[in-house]
Amino acid sequence: MRSSSLQTNIVRSLRILLLLGIVALTFGPLYLDLGHLRFFTEVFSLLVLAMMWNLVAGYADIVTVGQHAFVGIGGYAFYAFAAKADLNVTEAMIAAGLLSLLIGIPITAVVFRMRAAYLAIGTWVVAEVCTLLASKIPGFGGASGITLPSTVIRAVGANVEARFSHLYWMALALAVVCFIATALLLRSRLGVGLMAMRDNEEAAGSVGVNIVVCRIVCFLWTALFLGLAGALLTLQNLRIQPQASFSLIDYTVYVIFAVVIGGIGSIEGSIIGVAVYIGLRSAFSDYGNLYLIFLGAVSIAIMLAEPRGIWGLVRRYLPEDVIPVSHRYRPKTEATPAE
Amino acid sequence: MFNGFLNQIVQGILHGGLYAMFAVGLSLSVGVMRLINIAHGDFIVLASFVLFTLCTALGISPFLAMLIILPPAFVFGYLMQHVLLQKIVGSSNILPMILVTFGLSIIIENGLLIGYGPNPRKLLAGDLQIASLQLGGGVTVGLFPLITFGAAVALIFLLDLFLYRSRIGAKIRAVSDDVDAADLIGLSSKRIYAIAMGIVAMTIAISACFMGIRTNFDPSSGPTQLLTAFEVVVMGGLGSLWGTLFGGIMIGVAQAVGAQIDLAWEVLAGHLLFLLVLVVRPQGLLPKE
Amino acid sequence: MVVGDASGAGPQPLLSVRRLKVFHGKFEAVHGVDMDVGEGEIVSIIGANGAGKSSLMKAIIGQVDRVEGDIRFDGQSLAGRATADIVAGGIALIPEGRRLFPSLSVEENLALGWEVGRKGEITLDDVFELFPILRERRRQKARELSGGQQQMVAVGRAMLSNPRLLLCDEISLGLAPTIINDIYKVIPSIRERGIGIIVVDQDIGRSLAVADRFYCMLEGDFSLTGRPRETDRDTVMKHYFGL
Repeated sequence: MRSSSLQTNIVRSLRILLLLGIVALTFGPLYLDLGHLRFFTEVFSLLVLAMMWNLVAGYADIVTVGQHAFVGIGGYAFYAFAAKADLNVTEAMIAAGLLSLLIGIPITAVVFRMRAAYLAIGTWVVAEVCTLLASKIPGFGGASGITLPSTVIRAVGANVEARFSHLYWMALALAVVCFIATALLLRSRLGVGLMAMRDNEEAAGSVGVNIVVCRIVCFLWTALFLGLAGALLTLQNLRIQPQASFSLIDYTVYVIFAVVIGGIGSIEGSIIGVAVYIGLRSAFSDYGNLYLIFLGAVSIAIMLAEPRGIWGLVRRYLPEDVIPVSHRYRPKTEATPAE
Repeated sequence: MFNGFLNQIVQGILHGGLYAMFAVGLSLSVGVMRLINIAHGDFIVLASFVLFTLCTALGISPFLAMLIILPPAFVFGYLMQHVLLQKIVGSSNILPMILVTFGLSIIIENGLLIGYGPNPRKLLAGDLQIASLQLGGGVTVGLFPLITFGAAVALIFLLDLFLYRSRIGAKIRAVSDDVDAADLIGLSSKRIYAIAMGIVAMTIAISACFMGIRTNFDPSSGPTQLLTAFEVVVMGGLGSLWGTLFGGIMIGVAQAVGAQIDLAWEVLAGHLLFLLVLVVRPQGLLPKE
Repeated sequence: MVVGDASGAGPQPLLSVRRLKVFHGKFEAVHGVDMDVGEGEIVSIIGANGAGKSSLMKAIIGQVDRVEGDIRFDGQSLAGRATADIVAGGIALIPEGRRLFPSLSVEENLALGWEVGRKGEITLDDVFELFPILRERRRQKARELSGGQQQMVAVGRAMLSNPRLLLCDEISLGLAPTIINDIYKVIPSIRERGIGIIVVDQDIGRSLAVADRFYCMLEGDFSLTGRPRETDRDTVMKHYFGL
């Protein structure tokens, strides 16, 4: 036995803590004030962004620096469906996610013409194009953007309290659905293939999964959830505007830093990363640019010294993942003889 | 109308020279080290601010300032590679390469914001900036854009000469061909990489000078230069020096044509052309690995 | 105390290897071997695939992560020295698979050998004299050459480093027999310059024929050492396969 019962108990406790946390958060509007409701709503959205970047960069080997493209598309699509097509808020959100997925298909076709680091910068080009195009769509406020009609805002909740609570629950629901769905995706045959690829490209072929298909599915998967998150963020911010809805800093840079610090290649890492990032932000946000310099330096240091981040460090002392996404893969590695 | 259009095309071609200058350093680092430096654009902007400071403090011309910073730029590039970038090249895992250079980009951008604030700046080169030449057919070109284009051609020519006629050039090409073989026969790739990065930094200093005179720049202009340089490198054929001139002209002309439609389409047209080329003709544009 | 083996080397051999262990990560590829090579001596190392021959060569040239034990060249320890330094000090390797720089011309490939090397008496003309075909093709890119010509360039490149010790790793691999003859013909002429040579080759017959002494490697150890002319083929084969 390599792991002591103490370590196993720690993992178990962390799992229970995670579940209790979700349950406790479900009742958040009963005990949180408006400021905290807003704060957590933002945390949940950020969590979705982090899990999505981790999925593509940590598992599918697509190190995108243009994920703000889908967030913005989701935002603009939400505006179109809610303010122009008069769908109700939920329908408009789902439609926005689906449209983001749909637009993701041609985007995939273009950026997958490139590989590795080229693909990374290619996604950035695409995001630039989306941002510029968004300011050109007639009826969406051009470069200065446009505010959501008050009918849409009122549809979320009659007063501020109701609105904040509903937004909170929507964000929590999105984060939980995204979390569970992504964990299931990683536990599926597709996830097995991706994890095999991460370790060894040849082994991946022998698992019998088409790696290119896996990567495309992952990329589109993030298009869907990022679109949904974009719709939600629009509802929070009450407006769309090209530079804000397609914010490189907010929806890509901070997210990358959070995931890298928390630990790339694990869902736990994304959660920890968001928590650390939020904590640091409350403490140091007054320093503005200096804070970003600090985050950049920390990320560089982590990449060079401990590429698996905080969770990677912790995980060494634990017998298994808290969120068991890879247990179905492990027996297969053992079955493969070492070189 | 036609003359106006022709005029725009000529301007676009000349502007392409500047883009080629941005790209030539990136092309070198892609070709030799397989390094895509996301901070490339930010280094150009950083160099522009250094030039700006030198020009204001000493009251000298940007060109003289550029000559002054060329040797320190080489040293800076050499050390940058030696201390940091060497750790992230040569791996099939691209994550460190992207994240480290991305982190650098953020650090430089925010460092400049702290030091200089968000206001746009420009390098002043006196009458040179406004002088223009009348060509036939109603085409008027600015003297400075013409000089920039000429400088881009000269820079590429010199780099080409250096790579194919000098002993260090041969070593750089050897390491680019097969880095492991180089190490096996005692040609230290680490040192050659550092020299190559020093040269890249010199091209950055040169392009910063021309960019700073030609256009406004501010601490957050880096990504725009990076994306342009990247598109130029990919369209011109990865690692090809003369290809960057071709790619630069393509982007420059696309932007000029876009600007004819609507000023806001200027930047968009360049990106769209890049994506179009990627879809239509990906062969030969993909990295050789 | 240095235990003498079947060394034909003088009082101080050019290369002396003592209790050398070579590691690839945690895997120990070579388990503490002793070896000597004298000036002007040709030593052949034979052994099956994976016996540790290449690891040994790479250890001498400074291209493995971790070694234990002692490698001395001309009395100086090579421990911790970079390959560039070792090559400049007088050891050159002809790598397995030739490893020319395909986009460089023949002349440029050869010149690199000079650039990284010890700067001695062997010049470009000497190489062209040895391999006249290379003089004709000196402007051609290495990738345009035949396999045999490429091997000639690889030999020439290493010679131009003016080594005092030359390591030949699998120089006949993938070549036609007549070409192998041409390549092997030059080895004695290199030795005449007082250069020590280590030959590693799958073609045991050919490598033993040219050698003064040999070491047979089996699973990371020397299972046999001696002089080819004094050792019968059955004994060699027995130790080669570990029977």
